[in-house]
Amino acid sequence: MKPAKSMQPLVRGLLVALFWLGVWQALSMLAAKPVLFASPLDTVKALLRLLPTKDFWAAAATSLGRISLGFFLGLLIGLALGIAAFRFSLVRTLLSPLLTLVKTVPVASFIILILVWFGSGPLAVIVSLLIVLPQIYTSTLAGLGSADRELLEMAKLFRVSPGRTAWRIYRPALSPYLLGTCASALGMSWKAGIAAEVIGTPLHSIGEQMYLSKIYMDTAELFAWTATVILLSVGFEKLVLALLRKAAK
Amino acid sequence: MDVQIRGLCHSFGEKQIFDRFDLTLPDGGLYGLTAPSGRGKTTLLRIIMGLLQPDAGAVTQGLQFSAVFQNDRLLPGRTPVEQLLFVRGGKRDREDCRLFLSGILPADSLEQPVEELSGGMQRRVAIARALWADSDCVLMDEPFTGLDEDTLRHTADFILANRQGRTLLLSTHQREQLSEYPFEWLTL
Repeated sequence: MKPAKSMQPLVRGLLVALFWLGVWQALSMLAAKPVLFASPLDTVKALLRLLPTKDFWAAAATSLGRISLGFFLGLLIGLALGIAAFRFSLVRTLLSPLLTLVKTVPVASFIILILVWFGSGPLAVIVSLLIVLPQIYTSTLAGLGSADRELLEMAKLFRVSPGRTAWRIYRPALSPYLLGTCASALGMSWKAGIAAEVIGTPLHSIGEQMYLSKIYMDTAELFAWTATVILLSVGFEKLVLALLRKAAK
Repeated sequence: MDVQIRGLCHSFGEKQIFDRFDLTLPDGGLYGLTAPSGRGKTTLLRIIMGLLQPDAGAVTQGLQFSAVFQNDRLLPGRTPVEQLLFVRGGKRDREDCRLFLSGILPADSLEQPVEELSGGMQRRVAIARALWADSDCVLMDEPFTGLDEDTLRHTADFILANRQGRTLLLSTHQREQLSEYPFEWLTL
């Protein structure tokens, strides 16, 4: 019997997942040493071992808190600076070299500087913020610039208040730009945030746990933490994008 | 306040549209503007509204305008009621808005996004918006485009009933169909 049409994507998705699990299993068998390349089963076992521990939840909560704080600060500051730069060309000119610097300086340089200046505590927050801010700034400028000139002219002629013009003309123009950028910035903030934690090893963080897994050559635990990061990152991304879509309506 | 234009000159590239053009529209009048295509009807309306800077000449300042543009310029995804509330009023005026719009649109179209309305209905929303807004002078650029004869008459009645003593200047190609209305006709 053929599966129902609505089941087809699910079945296809399961088959794709099974295929890649098979590839993973084959690679781990080729490596022949769990220390070098843990199998899917070893990874699940490691995750099940970690799940009931307080350290696991403390690390997951701390990293989630720091990276999401960095993301939201980057979103808010990037948005505010983008609006200011759109409104005042002097702000745009002033910010231009700073934003170019933030975009081009390697993340590793920032990580070292932040470690020297502030220590490892706020590291993931600041790195995540620095990754998100320039992207949001650029997309805010582009989104506001894409607002329909004819609608703006209409609003000006009818002497519509700036607040109402912003809400009804600029906000709908900005939303698609912001949503697209947030979708990519969310993933990048997690990648950069966790990388920063691995280098700075702040207490009770996923990065610290990953670093310890490396020290103890526990690849299964490293994979388990990686799976945790993926789950947190995807869940966080879906939640934030759903909230942003709701705000954009 | 009268709309006054003195010594208006304007050209697009080599093409001279206005050369020392004068016009006075006494306050509260009802004016129809007619001319062959390309003679500058839209340009004249845009200059009066202050949206286009003429090469030379003086135009009355300080008047508040509302307008129907050549294209409708409606907010995407918003209903006719929201289009009107955008230019005047708040949530409390919703019912007044509905009542006003029902003079020109079917009741079941008032809360539909404008994209779901026909071209003629969208045009009528733009007309209603211009009349609903606070202004001293209402300018309409080809407001009857896309309207059949019955709807044109109904819309013209609605315009005249709701201009509330304001100066009204509309450009049109359909002068014959408006012959029974008391327009003072200007030809470029």
